[in-house]
Amino acid sequence: MLRILLIDDTQSKLGRLKAALSEAGFEVIEAPGLTIDLPACVETVRPDVVLIDTDSPDRDVMEQVVLVSRDQPRPIVLFTDEHDPAVMRQAIQSGVSAYIVEGIHAARLQPILDVAMARFESDQALKAQLLARDQQLAERKRIEQAKGLLMKMKDCNEEQAYTLMRRQAMSRQQKLIQVAEQIIAMHEMLG
Amino acid sequence: MNTVPRATPLAWVNGSDAPEKPSLNIGYMALTDCASVVVAATQGFAQQHGLTLNLKRQGSWAGLRDKLVSGELDAAHCLYGLVYAVHLGIGGVPASEMAVLMGLNQNAQAINLSPALQRKGVTNPEALARLAHQHGARLTFAQTFPTGTHAMWLYYWLASQGIHPLRDVDSVVVPPAQMAAHIQAGRIDGFCVGEPWAADAVATGQGFTLATSQSIWPDHPEKVLACARAFAEQYPNSARALIKAVLAASRFIEQSPENRRSTAQLLSGSAYLATPLASIEPRLLGSYHDGLGNHWQDPHALRLHDHGRANLPYLSDGMWFMTQFRRWGLLRDDPDYLGVARQVQQLALYGEAAQSLGVACPEPMRSSLLIDGSRWDGSDPYGYARSFSLHAMGDLPDARVGA
Repeated sequence: MLRILLIDDTQSKLGRLKAALSEAGFEVIEAPGLTIDLPACVETVRPDVVLIDTDSPDRDVMEQVVLVSRDQPRPIVLFTDEHDPAVMRQAIQSGVSAYIVEGIHAARLQPILDVAMARFESDQALKAQLLARDQQLAERKRIEQAKGLLMKMKDCNEEQAYTLMRRQAMSRQQKLIQVAEQIIAMHEMLG
Repeated sequence: MNTVPRATPLAWVNGSDAPEKPSLNIGYMALTDCASVVVAATQGFAQQHGLTLNLKRQGSWAGLRDKLVSGELDAAHCLYGLVYAVHLGIGGVPASEMAVLMGLNQNAQAINLSPALQRKGVTNPEALARLAHQHGARLTFAQTFPTGTHAMWLYYWLASQGIHPLRDVDSVVVPPAQMAAHIQAGRIDGFCVGEPWAADAVATGQGFTLATSQSIWPDHPEKVLACARAFAEQYPNSARALIKAVLAASRFIEQSPENRRSTAQLLSGSAYLATPLASIEPRLLGSYHDGLGNHWQDPHALRLHDHGRANLPYLSDGMWFMTQFRRWGLLRDDPDYLGVARQVQQLALYGEAAQSLGVACPEPMRSSLLIDGSRWDGSDPYGYARSFSLHAMGDLPDARVGA
């Protein structure tokens, strides 16, 4: 059963979603408005989805969403009465997976949550890939830099420099990037 | 016959050949023959091809298989036989299409016997065959996976000595690193395993090496880099880049004895094999002590590259495992040997990767002479599977029990 953290941030506090969600068969954990520390709340409750019901998503709401997306990434669905496309864009940028204006019917909840979770998964995969590419590029640059320094110091060619670094790394049970960092650090100290 | 398609400059004209998936989870077992994978991942070979390889050490071959099939692992250091068993649906999981991207190594597995047998003077094949056929002496041998290479080497070797591996002895599955502990506990009388575990058992006084796998078949196929067929189809650029990284690493390791020694040092680390260097390095460099006082430099020790001869996913190598599955009754019917091998062995991807690194591609069929004098060249798998006097093919009228 899907575990849903429901944040009711509406003025009326009518709990319009609670009944619909329970009816649709979800496990619902309710939390008061966004005066709470949302990342900490997500950490304790460990929900599959975070659902925020708000009259209008203001800066405070967005702030909390950004924090959750960074530290405790979860699919976040925002139910609101706010029609303003600018607000909607900002919400999506902050890390909201689905932005739903009005119209809450029990029957529509499942597909909305499904889409939100699918979208969240593909976003996470994309983020991980971008991160991997950035890291590769950064490591490659550092290794290139160390190789260049070694070529000068040892007066050797590129392949010899790589081999020297690799042998050093392997005999110390380290990765090539670690030895590259050591060479750069040593060069900075002596240089 | 040459079935390796030549890569043309137009091969990737439709787009970039950058890996579709830049970060891959790679499974491996703590064995000396995982060297190329570990060196590729840690020594900057993967970055050069736009990949990050996240090494995931596995505790058993069954666990590795499950994660490979579920997609938790993108690719893995894998037993040749395991890939074909999963592809053909033999064993614990339903058939799932698999792919062999490249060979990782040839040789360097061994059959060891226990100190108890050594004390009884069972230190040669003849004495073992006598004991195995004695009434009441039921010997138990361990291998690492029911359809894996070690099971096949153990069966082939026992049969070559007149011992029926399924009728004259019992066999059990034990993870590689636990062989010596099982010998010590007296649960098994011998085992077939990859290095360094046979050398480590000798070094710790837990028995001796009776036969090396290369004495069964010099330069036999052993571990492969395997993935689900879906992975190779969905991410061909990642698969090609992965082959390039591992192939370049294997070439680097064999470039000099110093490189081999550094590789042994890397592997002995706690993150990888967590085993003393003294158990890894000698046999990695071809220096064998059998634990009976014999010492030799093995001409067919671990080959990780051998100018590409150890890396091509030969069709005849893939087919051989199917002939042995058939021989031992693991396959009830003959598969389309060549057809299945063509599906599984990724000759096209491998050929493109090898060409870009300037590594030669031999013909995809090779001819070998095995310990029992039989020749295997892939030309007649149906006949070859039926050519053995000891087997477990129930459908043959002349099936003999024992020897």
